[in-house]
Amino acid sequence: MRWGMAIELKRCIGCNACVLACKAEHFVPPDIFWNRVLIGEKGKYPNVSKLIYTVRCNQCADPKCVKVCPTGATQQREDGIVWIDDTKCVGCRYCMVACPYQMRSMYEDPDKNYFPGQELTEHEKIGKTLYPHTPGVVQKCVFCKERIDSGMAQGLVPGVDRDASPACVIVCPTKAIHFGDLDDPNSEINRIIKEKHGHPFHPEFDTQPSINFID
Amino acid sequence: MTTTQRKPYEFMVKYQQQKDWIDGRGNFIAFAFFLGGIAGGLFLASAYFDNLLGIFVAFLLTGLMGVSYMFHLTHPMRFWRMVVRPGTSWISRGFTFIMLFGFFTVITMTLMQWAPDATAAITTFKVLAGIFAFAQSIYTGFAVSYVSAIKVWNTAIVPVLFVTCGLTGGLAILLAIMMGQDSSQIVTLENIIRVVLIALAVIIGVYLWNTTYSSSSARDAVKRLIGGSLAPLFWIGVFLFGIVVPVVISLATIGSHDPAAGLMITAVISEIIGGLALRFAILKAGMYQPLLPAD
Repeated sequence: MRWGMAIELKRCIGCNACVLACKAEHFVPPDIFWNRVLIGEKGKYPNVSKLIYTVRCNQCADPKCVKVCPTGATQQREDGIVWIDDTKCVGCRYCMVACPYQMRSMYEDPDKNYFPGQELTEHEKIGKTLYPHTPGVVQKCVFCKERIDSGMAQGLVPGVDRDASPACVIVCPTKAIHFGDLDDPNSEINRIIKEKHGHPFHPEFDTQPSINFID
Repeated sequence: MTTTQRKPYEFMVKYQQQKDWIDGRGNFIAFAFFLGGIAGGLFLASAYFDNLLGIFVAFLLTGLMGVSYMFHLTHPMRFWRMVVRPGTSWISRGFTFIMLFGFFTVITMTLMQWAPDATAAITTFKVLAGIFAFAQSIYTGFAVSYVSAIKVWNTAIVPVLFVTCGLTGGLAILLAIMMGQDSSQIVTLENIIRVVLIALAVIIGVYLWNTTYSSSSARDAVKRLIGGSLAPLFWIGVFLFGIVVPVVISLATIGSHDPAAGLMITAVISEIIGGLALRFAILKAGMYQPLLPAD
């Protein structure tokens, strides 16, 4: 089993709903993004096209971050999800430097809140207890592994059932993000990748990303 | 390209400067790399000249490297975990090299001080410590060059550059130590320094030339180094202090059996500043290629 995504770029409208859903799901601290919407352009006037890419950790099959981590804090599960054991990270930042996609962030300031000078919002207060982030530790997208694990424990199917799928997938208003098992040749995601010619983002980095983009 | 505060919408859409290993706590890893390099170089030079004080100073500098590493880490009390992944991580390998270097150096110093007649044992441990001194010096280059996303780092010349730079710094410190000891081997040491300094200048030149042709981000990084925001650091720190001043003093003192101490100390300090500037310049020059447009 290897979880992966297929993102249809023509469907993405750059609404940032995936970014906000991720922030809300994991109570991601201020100034840190586990996923982003990159907006660029290609070509020269008058033949210019706008590029909108929703990006997050690619959960690479051959991740640089896992290789460079000196403590084994960054690990890869059998289902391909790369995650960080907060209790083992020393904060050397080698993984941050080595990630060619720059999808890792260091959580440094636990006192920083979304509305400086004001009290924490109810959402922030809940987050501090429900999903506490460890200061001085690197963090990144984990494909909502908690949702996948709890969903599968209930017999649900990630990518099919909402409660077992990543937050960014279920919140996408245009259904641009597909989720599923890349190792299953009969899965819906493999069919989409095959039929619509999905390709990884910057394959030249040679990390075998689990996220495929469809032009 | 910008090196000022990045806007969120510019993230990986424009060239992005590497900051994790140079800003804030990142400064300490630059110091650690520098100290590891000169400590390794100093040990190798001291072992060659059989200078116990030089070996001791190399040991102290390695300790300082460890301290600098601790300041870099956000969870320094977990440092012992850094030995568990030597199979794939250069930081882990380096940490192992540092510990083994320290271990064998302590044994070497103990034997040299209290059992000077045990020449076979001294030579054995000196060689073992020397191997790890070299490893400690060169691993910093490999840790940097492993980062394939930063093209200005991702070249086989970086480890050679770092180890040569460490050796020049180490030789310079040994020169200062020998001046205090009134050693007769200073002339030999000066001759070695001249050769290594010229080698360093050549390696820096080859590095910049070679990097220019590797990718557009590397070419931009080289431009920043020689004519952009990093030019003062490169030309004053690396070129002037690291090469020109020591080379000029070194050439001026050829044939002189008793060169002015002030002049020699100037060369030593200049070389050390140059080595530190080189580490900072290369770490600061690190740039990530934009993710968009993606072809």
